[in-house]
Amino acid sequence: MTWLTSHPLSILVFGPALLGFLLLALPHKLGRLSRMLGLMGALAIFALSLAWLLGHRGNGAILAERAAWFTLVGLPVDYALSVDGLNLWLVLLTTFLVPLTMLGTWNSLKDRLGTFAALFLMLETGMLGALMAQDLFFFYLFWEAMLIPMYFMIGVWGGDERRYAANKFFLYTLSGSLLWLVALLYLANKAGGFNPILMGQAATLLPFDVQCWLFIAFAVAFAIKVPLFPLHTWLPDAHVQAPTAGSVILAGVLLKLGGYGFIRFAIPMFPQAALHYAKPLAILSVIAIVYGALVAMVQRDIKKLVAYSSVSHMGFVMLGLASFTVIGTQGAMLQMLNHGISTGALFLLVGMLYDRAHTRMIADFGGVAVKMPVFTTFFFIVTLSSIGLPLTNGFVGEFWILNGTFLSGFTWGRLYACLATSGVLLGAVYMLWMFKRVFWGPENKDEDSGTHHLHADLNAREIAVMLPIVVLIFWMGIHPKTFVAISEAPVAALLLEIKAPAPRTFVLKPAVHRAPAAPAPASGSHGHAEPAAHEVHR
Amino acid sequence: MNLTPSQWAALLPLLIPTLGACLIPLMSLDKDQASAKWIRGAMYGTALLAVGASFWYLTGLWNTGAQPSFFQLRMDRLAQFTGIFVLVAAALTILQSWDHFHQEGWVKGETLSLLLFSVVGMMLFASTTHFAVLFLGLELFSIPLYALVGTVRARAESAEGGMKYFLTGAVASSCFLMGGVLICGLGGNFDLAAAALTLKVQGLALDPLVLVGAALLLLGFLFKVSAVPFHQWTPDAYEASPHPIAGFMSVATKGVAFIALLRIFPGSLAPLSGVGVKLQSVVAVLAVATLVLGNLTALVQTNVKRMLAYSSISHAGYLMLAFVAGTPAAFSGMLYYLVIYLAMNMGAFGLLTAFGLVGEHTTFDDLRGLGWKRPAMGVAAAIFMLSLAGIPPLGGFFGKYMIFRELVSTGHVGMAILGVLASLVSAYYYLRFLVALFLQAPSAEAERLASDRPAVHAPYAGATVLVAAGIVLAGGFLQTFLADGFTRRALVDGLGLIR
Repeated sequence: MTWLTSHPLSILVFGPALLGFLLLALPHKLGRLSRMLGLMGALAIFALSLAWLLGHRGNGAILAERAAWFTLVGLPVDYALSVDGLNLWLVLLTTFLVPLTMLGTWNSLKDRLGTFAALFLMLETGMLGALMAQDLFFFYLFWEAMLIPMYFMIGVWGGDERRYAANKFFLYTLSGSLLWLVALLYLANKAGGFNPILMGQAATLLPFDVQCWLFIAFAVAFAIKVPLFPLHTWLPDAHVQAPTAGSVILAGVLLKLGGYGFIRFAIPMFPQAALHYAKPLAILSVIAIVYGALVAMVQRDIKKLVAYSSVSHMGFVMLGLASFTVIGTQGAMLQMLNHGISTGALFLLVGMLYDRAHTRMIADFGGVAVKMPVFTTFFFIVTLSSIGLPLTNGFVGEFWILNGTFLSGFTWGRLYACLATSGVLLGAVYMLWMFKRVFWGPENKDEDSGTHHLHADLNAREIAVMLPIVVLIFWMGIHPKTFVAISEAPVAALLLEIKAPAPRTFVLKPAVHRAPAAPAPASGSHGHAEPAAHEVHR
Repeated sequence: MNLTPSQWAALLPLLIPTLGACLIPLMSLDKDQASAKWIRGAMYGTALLAVGASFWYLTGLWNTGAQPSFFQLRMDRLAQFTGIFVLVAAALTILQSWDHFHQEGWVKGETLSLLLFSVVGMMLFASTTHFAVLFLGLELFSIPLYALVGTVRARAESAEGGMKYFLTGAVASSCFLMGGVLICGLGGNFDLAAAALTLKVQGLALDPLVLVGAALLLLGFLFKVSAVPFHQWTPDAYEASPHPIAGFMSVATKGVAFIALLRIFPGSLAPLSGVGVKLQSVVAVLAVATLVLGNLTALVQTNVKRMLAYSSISHAGYLMLAFVAGTPAAFSGMLYYLVIYLAMNMGAFGLLTAFGLVGEHTTFDDLRGLGWKRPAMGVAAAIFMLSLAGIPPLGGFFGKYMIFRELVSTGHVGMAILGVLASLVSAYYYLRFLVALFLQAPSAEAERLASDRPAVHAPYAGATVLVAAGIVLAGGFLQTFLADGFTRRALVDGLGLIR
């Protein structure tokens, strides 16, 4: 018992997988029972994560576990897990989305329910482990192991092209991480271990071009996950072919791991190289934003549209990180949460629609609002959040990112901020246009149409799934501080440490926007947003 | 001839399987009786008993830490490791062949006898530096295998594969013999270590004839591990053999050849360092060729056994990379890789038996949907295939990790990148196995055939598959125990003795 109480993070990480293996051992006939047990387990993990992680306050790690694990070929590997300002909310997002998705897709699957629940729980272990691991080898294990359950989720329960999509997803991601493994080994060899801090120190001693190569290896592995243009091509296939639950988790958490990898490992470990490549990263981000939005606009499949909107939205995250300002990075952190909530919700809603109509083609719908008013309401709220309407979560994140980019110390900041802003506009275009064609207009009376097959509005279960999402959308839009206060200090400290160029201060109040000289107090997020607002209205 | 108890303990692991191999044919003398169930049981029981007793003595020897060296035998830790390795492979093979030969409707005692002789030969091969004994071991394990490949007389391909293997193998053996003769003749000693020392003292270390001799020796080894360009026999031989025998060949032959290569080249021939460096670059080039060709050819196979054959070729490439790095840690990683490889490949070939895929019905299409029908086997298959592809946290990943890490630390970053790219390619064909098992529904024709066929009973093969899956998982989660407690000690204590 004492071991259990002293290792809360181990329980959070490995609890789901243990339950998953148990479910795998249950016979096929007990699929419905397994599904129920899986949901209960995921809810328990969510409850535990809230109880253990939200109770603590203060700087530094909220909870941490570190022990020597093993030494192989002379390189020590630590069993190191921790939750701190950078990953707290991503961890909670994961533990929140898993049970929610299970409930939201309760009746979507017809066969092999137990196996699906088991894989889902193993995936949760992989995601939580990757988010919490503080040793790069440990991180790598989770990062790769995550592919296995996702592969089967797409491949077994996916759409018509599922085998192609699953293989593409697996091999694409593997290609990045295998090359990254070589870089990891190279650096571990110099540092004598996989501790990211020691590795970072060892990296600073290397010649600059070696640092750049190592950074590129890290960046490519993470950028594939994000996915950053032009490494995004696996995403539409995987998203569209995956079953609803897979798409939600893919968009909600897996993509975040890419952005998280940048801020946790790639940027702190190779600060000079990261600053050196800030401009290429920003260029690719802007391309991703605009290109993703343009491609989303012409999609005929709603799910594919949402998939491409992910490319666009995750481009904002990368742009925020590339701005190397506190507000931009904080915006990126928030945008990751936003995207997890909004896009996750969109995939859930598209799944609900598909379960009823058995089609996702925009042209098959029209006038859905008449038949499913409650559904339409939820979809509209989530659409607005995805567009980034003020008072919803999407607005705050995108605004901070654009603000940070505009004010960043790089000469290209203002131009790229302007270009990226067009992405917000295009986002409104594709989302609202899709919304108009699907939900408004006269009811599509065609016998074969999707609308014709819609008989029931959302049931109590589905409403129960959507309600917490809607609450979060507004909470994050109105009081984002809840979600970013804790990352303010580590982000500011990080940017200070890597000597990021100070943001420009060409406004009337020069003092406000100096780079924070010391780890800023946790109240900063609003303080940063206000002068920026002045700036815009000037 | 007086032997001390510890020398007896070292000799018994070799003698017991020999005795078993002699007894078993006696049991099957009467043709009619060989088909009686109790005689079959007795034959298989004897074989298992012999393997088990040998294993028992070897592990006992390992635990005492004794490394007796007498006559031309060096039963050091490396040899004990090899013995344990081969015996485990043999035990799995015997269990699988019970099921497989029953499915094929063809049970004969000779197969077991040949297998046991081959086991003895392998143990001999890896526990000596004396060239005559070395060659004896090589032939003692090769000749039974030539025969075993051609076992299934009902199939023409079986004889063809066996013949191909025999002819090419004979050429390789004679090259090996020639190489040994050159070195031993020039060095004036049948013991390779002593010969190498003499050559160095005489200043003949870089003599062209010595170089040719060493190269010919290397060729013999590379043939056995099926490295490119000496790999052509592999797919045909595997396809022709019964599944368990193919598994045994892929694992034991390769493993023993690598271990003997380790003992001879960095070990005994260490005084000829100039030759070693030259041959190391040859190995590097061939390793690259093996990785590229093995993996790319595996991509286009439709027959699972041929795919596994090319996969086994490509794994020879990874193991050769350990020689490119050439550090003790790399060799320790190689031994670790071999342990995991034993489990993965014996498991993969065992699956074919467990699924009851007889004769030529071993294409990917024949596998369709079987993962859902036999969930435990399916999970094991996923473990084997993902581990073969090197996906963490399974054992295969740690084997590759240890080798790649040594490559990087010795400055062979390019080779490491090539290695990871090769394993990326390999992931595709291993996934294909899983695609067939889980992601594809069986074709209508296969369903019809399956309903005609009697239900598959392969309890022993199934058990071996589960054991193998356990080893692969242990390789992922207890890697320190295996690597430090087993492979590193085999290497340090073993090579320490011969140096």
